[in-house]
Amino acid sequence: MNENAPGLETRALKTPPFLLLAVLLFWGWQSGLLLAGAVMGVLLESARFVKARWELSDADLRRILTFCTVLLLATAVYAFTSNEEGGSLSGLIHGPAAARNATLTSVRASSAFFRWLPLTLFLFMAAQAFGAREKIPWTAISFFSYRRAQRERKSGHLPPPGGGLNISYPYFIVCLFSAGVHPNNGGTSYFWGQCLLTVWALWPFRSRRYGIAVWAGTLAAVFVLGYFGQSGIGVLERVIENYNPQWFARFLRQRTDPMQATTAIGRIGKLEMSGRIVIRLWTDNHTPPPEYLREASYRTYYSPRQSWYAGTPRSDFANLSSETNQTTWVLLPGKTNIASVNIAGYLNGWSQELGIPEGLLPLPTGSGRLENLNAVSLKANSEGAVLADGPGLVIFDARYGPGATIDSPPDTSTNLLDLTVPTNEAPALEQVISTMHLAGRDEAQTLRNVSGFFRNHFTYSVWLGPDQLATTNETPLARFLLTSRRGHCEYFATATVLLLRELNIPARYAVGYAVHEQSGRGYVVRERDAHAWCLVWDADTRTWENFDTTPASWVADEAKRASVWQRLSDLRSWIGYQIAKFRWGQTNLRQYILWALVPMLALLLYQIIFRRGRRQRRKGGGKTAAAVFWPGLDSEFYLLERKLAARGVPRQPGEPLSAWLTRALDEPALKDLRGPLLELLRLHYRYRFDPRGLSAPERETLTREVKARLDTLSQVAGPR
Amino acid sequence: MTTSPFEAARDIYRKIAGNISKIMRGQAGPTRQLLAALASGGHVLLEDFPGTGKTTLAKALARSIDARFKRLQFTPDLLPSDILGVSIFSQRDQQFHFHEGPVFTHILLADEINRASPRTQSALLEAMGEQQVSVEGERRNLPELFFVIATQNPVEFRGTYPLPEAQMDRFAMQFTLGYVPPEEETAILTAQQHDHPLDQLQPCATLADVLALKRAVEDVRISEELKRYAVDIAAATRAASGVQLGASPRASIALMKTAQALALFDGFDFVAPEQIQALAVPVIAHRLVLEPQARFSGLNARGVVEEILKQLKVPA
Repeated sequence: MNENAPGLETRALKTPPFLLLAVLLFWGWQSGLLLAGAVMGVLLESARFVKARWELSDADLRRILTFCTVLLLATAVYAFTSNEEGGSLSGLIHGPAAARNATLTSVRASSAFFRWLPLTLFLFMAAQAFGAREKIPWTAISFFSYRRAQRERKSGHLPPPGGGLNISYPYFIVCLFSAGVHPNNGGTSYFWGQCLLTVWALWPFRSRRYGIAVWAGTLAAVFVLGYFGQSGIGVLERVIENYNPQWFARFLRQRTDPMQATTAIGRIGKLEMSGRIVIRLWTDNHTPPPEYLREASYRTYYSPRQSWYAGTPRSDFANLSSETNQTTWVLLPGKTNIASVNIAGYLNGWSQELGIPEGLLPLPTGSGRLENLNAVSLKANSEGAVLADGPGLVIFDARYGPGATIDSPPDTSTNLLDLTVPTNEAPALEQVISTMHLAGRDEAQTLRNVSGFFRNHFTYSVWLGPDQLATTNETPLARFLLTSRRGHCEYFATATVLLLRELNIPARYAVGYAVHEQSGRGYVVRERDAHAWCLVWDADTRTWENFDTTPASWVADEAKRASVWQRLSDLRSWIGYQIAKFRWGQTNLRQYILWALVPMLALLLYQIIFRRGRRQRRKGGGKTAAAVFWPGLDSEFYLLERKLAARGVPRQPGEPLSAWLTRALDEPALKDLRGPLLELLRLHYRYRFDPRGLSAPERETLTREVKARLDTLSQVAGPR
Repeated sequence: MTTSPFEAARDIYRKIAGNISKIMRGQAGPTRQLLAALASGGHVLLEDFPGTGKTTLAKALARSIDARFKRLQFTPDLLPSDILGVSIFSQRDQQFHFHEGPVFTHILLADEINRASPRTQSALLEAMGEQQVSVEGERRNLPELFFVIATQNPVEFRGTYPLPEAQMDRFAMQFTLGYVPPEEETAILTAQQHDHPLDQLQPCATLADVLALKRAVEDVRISEELKRYAVDIAAATRAASGVQLGASPRASIALMKTAQALALFDGFDFVAPEQIQALAVPVIAHRLVLEPQARFSGLNARGVVEEILKQLKVPA
């Protein structure tokens, strides 16, 4: 440390007094880290009053920057993969509760990276504030400048005295930016705060050519423009969001809406579904996987639109409760589940109210319990759709078994929702039932008849040619039943549901996926495995049973159309899955990375703190060894130099002794030593640089005087 | 009262410096450097903005010494013969007679040297380098004390020709005076209210005194290590990046000689590293030619030398 340069403290911080404190307080207030902001601000501003300065070499600055960079990396890894509330570091200790917190905060956590910027970069800023240099050299900041300087040095050139950067204003901008990244604080306090701070920061740079009124007016205009600009962006965003469905809706469906399923019935063209893997399953001990994974079921068919509706309002969804570990969700209390399957699926929707991903869970029929599910909330409706809010990728164990399902029993009210048939479809259905003698003695026989009817007279087809097109007085479904007799699963499922209802058997239309493709130790479900089938009410067991009349050939038909690039796209899909797992905190990798960064940070910190001393010692040792051939190097004056340097003022390589001595003796306690030591230096210089040298008595005087001064020095109080 | 030649020389220095300081207020540093150049046999180039006292300093020095002084105002139409002299045919004895030019003097003030064309500027090369003039195949020696003080406006000014590198190298030192603090400037105004104090300045040293001072400076001791240090500084400028032309051996010689003079002024009988450091910039910086690219990126010769001083390990 040195105190010799007056005005140095004013140059290290270029910002006006207390601006950094203000911006850090503002940042702390906006991001809920007020205490940290206050402490950092006071520390930085204290550099104006503390005269002591660290003399940091380029290597020291580089180390500090590396430390900050690694810290930045750590927060990036943490923030972008985190499930926890951004403000806490509790996520480092992994526990079920922390894992359960899932993704309510995932989005906020990624903003934590930006919110923590002032914290992560603080050390670097402190190096600027308390360092002896006005600017941080480019060679310490930029790797490329450093490399260039190294190259020049290697080729025998002295590096050019390059400029540098005073980072106090950049740091101010970073703080201001970070203060703006705060979760859902709808107020305008940030806007006004940043206006004020910007005015403060720009005040010293205002042009003296114009009056203050012009300056203030211009700034005000900029702020007004900025205000309307940002609110305009908000409007634009809402407009785009409104267009969203039209932009991104796929031909059939990408995600299942629990309220409504628009079928492709009656449309012509080819049904083309991709081979993208959407769900992965693993079962225990080679037990077969569930045949179907249902996402939702529907009750009401609205014929003119060929759409199925849930038949219940959205408010029908009831929250499910989780057990104390917060990752186990009970769908059916008391149910014995004999099988278990591990399912990994994506939540493709977006919850507007929570601001996190949302989606229907694909569940095996008769699921009673979901385990290890990191969801924020889970809701189910009376049609058996389970809506989850949580991370974009959910991996959980579904326990299921035959018997009860979460679906409500058939509607027995006057509406008879599970038995209603649209009136315009009724004639065709009546005709089929009567001509084909589908009505059996009991329910079981009726089901066999219906199943046989479809098996014997219908074919599966995804090509819907013009012959499928219904004329004005027949519905697409009637044409399918009576004339064309080919179609895809939606035709079969819809027709079956309506036929059964016409036969007075309660039925529902179910959508989801069929599971049939084995891959490695588990199973994969592709987008083209999306399927629709029928749920039939078994009055004896009082349960809903899957009833699928689509010809079994559909699986092969679909698989035939698999692309030759399937393996490649599977690989891509697998990589995407691994990334999603990492992104949504479903893996321990994050912990490994973070814990791997901790020793690295510790090492860097150790280097910053302790390497300085070692480097100086090494240099001190080399000096005496290198230049033995010059006379007078045995002067005892060097003992004095070492002693003084140990008090915290080392001599720079290019600094002559007299200048250094003046600097080192600046300490009030050493004031009295100045005269005698400068006398002694003269003697030392004569010994070193006068070709005549010293006479024997003078040489003795030098030795004696140095000894005396060394003793005086030891008595003076230790270094500051 | 000591009678050592060094003390006597120091007295002469103090007398001249004191005399000049009556005129040049607040310019003790430049005066010291100017006298160091004079005492070490080098020439000086003063570069500064118009009106900062370059010519006044030169004239004050000339007045303080009882020696011949010529002043040469450089103009664009000045010719070499105007400086060196010319042979004129005499009708009386039907022979050519050489008429000495202003260069044949003890102290030559070359005012605004960069206003003459390079051709004329070059006329001084031999005189400054070898203390002799060759005119019409005949060598003519210059007096034992020959000291050139040139002044110039910064090169960027209108109507100036930059000095050639060879000419620059002939100057032992280049330095600036700079503006003095407001209090000093007020004192200057007061002093010049009625007449110029320069007019009343009396010589305080004889030619013999100055020659004695020069001889004393030559005797100031310098160790091999410090000679090596001066050489290392000059060598480092040749290797520094951004520098097209580094310092010549003439530069290290000038550095040593001026440092000897400064050591004498400082009361030393031998040179200390401080004196070499103090003179490295004025002695070396003006000789460097920077690469255009480096110049545009804000590098200047002064900065190069200062950086070298900072990085090179100084003997201690």
